[in-house]
Amino acid sequence: MSDPGGGRSLRGWLDSRYQITPLIEFLRHKEVPKGQHSMVWYYLGGTTMFFFMVQVVTGVLLLMCYQPGEATAYESIRYLTTKVPFGWLMRSIHCWSAHLMIISLVAHMFSTMMLKAYRPPRELTWVTGYILFALTLGFGFSGYLLPWNKLAFFATSVGTDLVKSVPVVGNWLLQVLRGGPDVTANTLYRFFALHVVILPLAFMALIGIHLLFVQRQGMAPPLGAKTAPRGMKFFPSFALRDVLLWLFCFMVLLVLAVFLPYGPGIPGMDWELGQKADALAPAFPGIKPEWYFLWEYQLLKEFPPHLFGLEGPQLCLLVVTLLLAIWAVIPWLDRQAQRDEPSPGFSDFGWGAILFLTFLTLKAWDIGATENVASAASIKIISRTCAWWTLGAGAAIIGVRVLIHGHRWFFLTGAALLHVALHGLFGLSYLAAGAIAAILAGACVTANLLRNDGIKANAGGAR
Amino acid sequence: MKTFSLIVYQLVCIAALAIAAADQPAAIAPKLAGLLAAQGKEGKPVISPEQRDYFEGLNDHIKGLLNNAAETEIITRPDHLSSILALGLRPQKMEVFLQDNCVLCHTDPEVQKPETLFSITAVSNTSPAHLNLHDLVDDVHFRRGLSCAGCHGGDPASDKLEHSFVKEWPGTGRDKNRGWVLSFCARCHSDSTLMNQFNPALPTDQLAKYKNSPHGKLLLETKDPRAPDCVSCHGVHGIRGAKNPLSKIYPKRVHETCGACHANPATMAGLTLPDGSLIPTNQLAEYRASVHGRALLERGDLGAPTCNNCHGNHAAMPVGLSSVSQSCGLCHAGNASLFDGSKHKQAFEAHKWPQCGQCHGHHGIAKTRDSMLAAGPEALCTKCHQQYAKDHPECNASAAYFHTSITQMDQAWNGFGVTAEQLAMKGLDVDAIQDKLNELADSLKQSRSHIHSFSKNGFERVALPGEKAVQSISSLIQEAKAEYRLRQLGLVASIALIGLVMLSLYLKLRRLEG
Repeated sequence: MSDPGGGRSLRGWLDSRYQITPLIEFLRHKEVPKGQHSMVWYYLGGTTMFFFMVQVVTGVLLLMCYQPGEATAYESIRYLTTKVPFGWLMRSIHCWSAHLMIISLVAHMFSTMMLKAYRPPRELTWVTGYILFALTLGFGFSGYLLPWNKLAFFATSVGTDLVKSVPVVGNWLLQVLRGGPDVTANTLYRFFALHVVILPLAFMALIGIHLLFVQRQGMAPPLGAKTAPRGMKFFPSFALRDVLLWLFCFMVLLVLAVFLPYGPGIPGMDWELGQKADALAPAFPGIKPEWYFLWEYQLLKEFPPHLFGLEGPQLCLLVVTLLLAIWAVIPWLDRQAQRDEPSPGFSDFGWGAILFLTFLTLKAWDIGATENVASAASIKIISRTCAWWTLGAGAAIIGVRVLIHGHRWFFLTGAALLHVALHGLFGLSYLAAGAIAAILAGACVTANLLRNDGIKANAGGAR
Repeated sequence: MKTFSLIVYQLVCIAALAIAAADQPAAIAPKLAGLLAAQGKEGKPVISPEQRDYFEGLNDHIKGLLNNAAETEIITRPDHLSSILALGLRPQKMEVFLQDNCVLCHTDPEVQKPETLFSITAVSNTSPAHLNLHDLVDDVHFRRGLSCAGCHGGDPASDKLEHSFVKEWPGTGRDKNRGWVLSFCARCHSDSTLMNQFNPALPTDQLAKYKNSPHGKLLLETKDPRAPDCVSCHGVHGIRGAKNPLSKIYPKRVHETCGACHANPATMAGLTLPDGSLIPTNQLAEYRASVHGRALLERGDLGAPTCNNCHGNHAAMPVGLSSVSQSCGLCHAGNASLFDGSKHKQAFEAHKWPQCGQCHGHHGIAKTRDSMLAAGPEALCTKCHQQYAKDHPECNASAAYFHTSITQMDQAWNGFGVTAEQLAMKGLDVDAIQDKLNELADSLKQSRSHIHSFSKNGFERVALPGEKAVQSISSLIQEAKAEYRLRQLGLVASIALIGLVMLSLYLKLRRLEG
């Protein structure tokens, strides 16, 4: 067989056919911004991808034993974890990695938000990342049902029931999702297809686009860097550091999987197999979803059954959709970041969102509950305790932002804390407290904007 | 940014105002609205927020009845309305309530004197008991539409009072000779055709049974005023079904109902058993401390027996010597059967000992302990044998064998159970251990039961699988522990390997970055 061209080395052989030299040159010259700012945040996307790769590998291994079906799903997982060599390890790593992936992804998203890395020209990188986050939550929700145990069955029944609240098409959507009016084997088949085919294909396509954007545009430099910061070579310096971190993550995964094979025992982060699903058995009292859905679960509980002629869950869904829609289009809303200027309002929006989610999650965890969790007295104590914890966290966040970063813009963080205080400490209903906090925050933000406009106008006039 | 903030602010303001607007009460008739909004002397609303919430949750039909009662001036005072709403009745009961003028009139504090006013604060155990409103509306007859007029006569829809049924009651001495109560209740309760309309499952032979019981004879033949009649156990007003926890005949309250007389020495003075001995009054105290009493009263196990399970209900009588084991055997069938086939049965009969009761007691049955088999202060076997069966020394050896075998199995079951749980939490497969633990538990239970056969061979047959299970569990636990050690070893090796790769990568990086 003749050599159609190129050198004798493998690289030459490949280059003559696929022209890889430009790619290698690109990687050789690619740099990651380096400077006074912390580079820690640049690694979070990589760790998220690492956990996803672990998911793919362990998922494929689990798939070799898993048999979807009403009579086989639970049994096959039980067989896998008790009889198949290292089956317990695969399931444990898969579960741990799923939770760590979400933690890493949330941290990646918030760090991108705080550093304003979404600003032009990286708007679509933010949007693809946002969709990847939604798909990851879809992975969590669909994978939860697959062991077909009692907790998963009832949690999925409650979780999918929410779809009914979607206006007009709600009932139809519920039928499509469940494959019938109730959670049955049909639901299991659909969730299985979603979890192992549809979502992975969509996820891989999007992750490809996301990475392509990152590679084409490079990592976002720090905000306001007038001159291009000194760079760190992507290959080998940054890539090797990435690999080192991945190996460390793998070590942590192994230790957690061996010592805590069923999770840390925190509600919503526990995957003991328990009993097989039984549609006729009484539902668990106080079923709760995975920890990353707890905020929405709690928000649903805060809404009354009916409000403004709508059902409570419908209105809650509307509010959540509105908030998520705002989150998706932040790159276009943040005009200051578009001009490469600091945008303290949006940083504060991010911190406010963290406090908002923290309070709801803590409350859903029943922090501070007395023996009779459902009693009115206990709910009051839970609200108070969670309010104190959130206020403490808020004070610490504000302290760090003032002392270390010199921030001065706290209207939205303040509103989130006021909301928590009015509800938890002064006993106002969650919605009423939220309405008061939102009105005050809105008034402060507007007054601040008008004042700034006045200052600019005066400055312009003086000139 | 500014435009967006202004739009968001306006939306939030609209939403907040809409929240306030959405909280408007539904329209109600003027008189009822006035009663609901009325304020007390201190300026506080008479109708509490909880009562208001209850009212808001009522359906339109019930609200219409309340409106009607207010418009026709049957309810004219806010405290009258408050006492009705405070009951928190379900719609069906509230409908009966609001259509009964007797009740509506007797709940009006302005019209009634304190001694005829039905209120939720009246003490239910003082006479007349029907003053307590909760008792009245909870009565099993009330729910079925048999209200005041059902016994007292008259038309509840009219404002005139006619006591047609009262004429059937004795004119004088109603409280001294209470035999009439039986026939008054039996008018309905012995009529199977009538009772079939309300509760087909309820027997109609209570009166016949009662007449043959010692209680019935005491009342109807001896005419002893201490003898109980229907209302002594069921109450007068506030009669609740046996499944209602507030009922005097609810399993957890039967002992109190019987004990009201049987634990009172003054009431029981002079009353005797068929053998002529005085009826003791310590049964209630003994029962409360017994294994049955504690199961029922502390653990809430409604399957545990109370007075009527051994003595009967309407035909209540002392349990005879031969029927003690029959009563016990109703629940403890296995043990009773083993005892009947044992050599002790004849011995006990010869001594005229009550079978189960001889070792376990009667009302004060204590929880059995394995130490009852061993020599010591709690010893049962040895104590009895020293007195009555000195010529059978081999029996003591059997008892010691029973004790040793059972104690070893019990200790193993407890210890292995804890270990299995710990291993399961570490993610190890404990299915096989659990299976063997179940075998051990079965064997232990059967061994304890087979003591009632008093046969070493019979005991050995059921104890042997348990002893084998102990050995199997022990080796399975050792295997599981070895597996866990292997996992830890594998983890250490993996971490060391990864650590080595990390170190070499780090060194490479340092070299590259010079």
